[in-house]
Amino acid sequence: MVRLALKDLKLFFADKRSLMLTFAVPIALITLFAFAFGGVGQEKGKARPTRVVVADEDQTVTSKNVIAKLDSSKELEVSLIGIDVAESLVKKGDEAAVLIFHKGFSDSLNAGSKPPIEFKYDAAKEAEVGILQGALIGKLMGIIGGRSMEKNVLAKVDSDNPGMDEATRKKIHEQISKNFSDETKKVSETFIKATPLVAEEETSPGLIQAVAGTSIMMLLFSVVSVGASMLDEKQEGTLKKLLYSPLHPNSILFGKMIFANSVSILQLSVMFLYSRLAFGLDIFSHLPSLLLMILATAYACSSFGVLLASIAKTRQQVQGLSTLVVLIMSCIGGSMIPTFIMPPFMQKISVLSVNYWGIQGFYDIFWRALPFSDTTFLSRIFVLVLIGTVMNLIALQMFKKNVLKIA
Amino acid sequence: MNEKRLYLFSMISVSNLSKNYDAIQALKGISFGIKQGEFFGLLGPNGAGKTTTISIMSTLLEPNAGSVSIAGFDLKNNPTECKKIIGVVPQEIALYNELSAYDNLMFWGSLYNVTKSELRLRIDETLKLFGLFERRNDKVKTYSGGMKRRINIASALLHKPRVLFMDEPTVGIDPQSRNLIFEVVEKLHKEGMTIVYTTHYMEEAERFCDRIGIIDNGQIIAQGTLEELKSLSKISETIVVSFLNLSDSLYEKISSEWEGLTRTEDVVHFISSDVKRDLSVIVLKCSQAGLSISHIDIKKVNLETIFLSLTGKQLRD
Repeated sequence: MVRLALKDLKLFFADKRSLMLTFAVPIALITLFAFAFGGVGQEKGKARPTRVVVADEDQTVTSKNVIAKLDSSKELEVSLIGIDVAESLVKKGDEAAVLIFHKGFSDSLNAGSKPPIEFKYDAAKEAEVGILQGALIGKLMGIIGGRSMEKNVLAKVDSDNPGMDEATRKKIHEQISKNFSDETKKVSETFIKATPLVAEEETSPGLIQAVAGTSIMMLLFSVVSVGASMLDEKQEGTLKKLLYSPLHPNSILFGKMIFANSVSILQLSVMFLYSRLAFGLDIFSHLPSLLLMILATAYACSSFGVLLASIAKTRQQVQGLSTLVVLIMSCIGGSMIPTFIMPPFMQKISVLSVNYWGIQGFYDIFWRALPFSDTTFLSRIFVLVLIGTVMNLIALQMFKKNVLKIA
Repeated sequence: MNEKRLYLFSMISVSNLSKNYDAIQALKGISFGIKQGEFFGLLGPNGAGKTTTISIMSTLLEPNAGSVSIAGFDLKNNPTECKKIIGVVPQEIALYNELSAYDNLMFWGSLYNVTKSELRLRIDETLKLFGLFERRNDKVKTYSGGMKRRINIASALLHKPRVLFMDEPTVGIDPQSRNLIFEVVEKLHKEGMTIVYTTHYMEEAERFCDRIGIIDNGQIIAQGTLEELKSLSKISETIVVSFLNLSDSLYEKISSEWEGLTRTEDVVHFISSDVKRDLSVIVLKCSQAGLSISHIDIKKVNLETIFLSLTGKQLRD
């Protein structure tokens, strides 16, 4: 088995085209996607602030404070502008959306009623709007949510107890306000802590998306060469010759598995090393988790190549089938566009793709900073290993069936 | 034909072997035995069942019925033991073109239980034997067809098999490579290797084979030494007559009166078991049929004519 794998590795390194496809092309794509998804081009590997166009119709101290708080956050870059100009920019397609603080914002907030904030957007820029909304909602909730709720609770206490004396009312109000003050602080802190956007030392999600998404997609394309190598063995008669030898026929497929896993591990490692060197992705702080995730992803992806090797009968079949499957898996699994900006039903489908589990695993490491022993992280490892094992077992059965027909 | 040897032990025993491919019966219960050190030729036209027979004997295919034993090991029950004993030179050149000849041999040799140091020695020896030592580090894709054939054979010899199956090993190669392969094959035979050889080339079979099995339509129709086949076929020589005015109708006329005729343009081959008697009869009958003879040649019996007599077909049909 090992000899077979070593022979395949020798052939692989002798084939310049395979090397290009495995290393040069993914590196080029990662670079492109890293710039396209953001996070690259400014400070190495750090998140770039999202630009928000804001129109302040209220022009009160409260509205100005809220806007100032938004602007002070690391992940948002507020651009204050008149409402007419802002709407015009959105209509022309120059801006994706505008956040409007309407007149009466401050009064509503103080009265505990729903504050008149409007988010006008260009429906054609769904993806951009999605990202912007995600960043804004959480941030605004942290700033104004607690205050609004506090006012609601106070009004409710007053309306339910009309006969309450002034001293008692004042005492209760003070206590509620104090509780809300502490709670809001907690909520705000919790929010800030839980949102990696504000964690200044964290890596850009765009970079993680580019590296993980592209690496896994290109890895799937690379392991297709395993399927092709089996066909070469069939077409050139070397498979028959292997079957003449005392090797157990299954060893031939196991050899291909070792080869596919070796190439996959090597490819993923090179991609993350490149991301470290070129974009400063912090791989060394998370080394054990990263290595485990690389092994699991490589195992799952390489099993796809092994499965192809066992079922395909012609090169055209391998190329056609693999291109179709890899593109579909990459599309739904989040290699091409992040899953969080997909509609809910697409997000549900994405779990069917090996890309999803791999990408989410790398997000767990670099974005969510989950520890090695975290159950969410380990569950992704488990799913990847499960996918790999199931595909390898199917491949083994198919190989046995096909090998008997070989002569 | 090689001189007769004393073969004491049966190396290969094939008994009632049958193989079907869907509705096609490729082998119809063939049986034969090959003794240790024997050079056995398996002759037959395309589709006769030669490659199927070799594929079963080399464990690539499972028969539908019948049994094969090699050196006392039953192929079905001990395939791995059998595989250790045999070497197979397939019809197609099965090598890794992107690897050097040396790396190819190292890989194929490593599949058998040979130590690395021993394997290196054997590879050097074999490369020298086949005249390719100087080019051992060149990629196989830079080799000529003949050189590739030589490496193809070399890769089957590294584990020193006791039985060598060679399936048309000289197809489409240059005379120089062919002669080199002949020399190696003869050397291996002299050293006592049991060889099973399929070929289209009668001169190869006549030159090397101690015994020959003629296979046609999935059946062994005759087997034995060349002398035994001669007597079995009841032919001795061929009278080759060239005509000046041979037409289709005249050919039909004489072929209806003489069995086993073959025609190539204006030349007709008459198979004869008694030339002296048959020659005058042929001349008389041709004259009566209105045929003008331009030339007569008498050819001695060879495998080609025996084959033709036994199967009614040319070997290359």
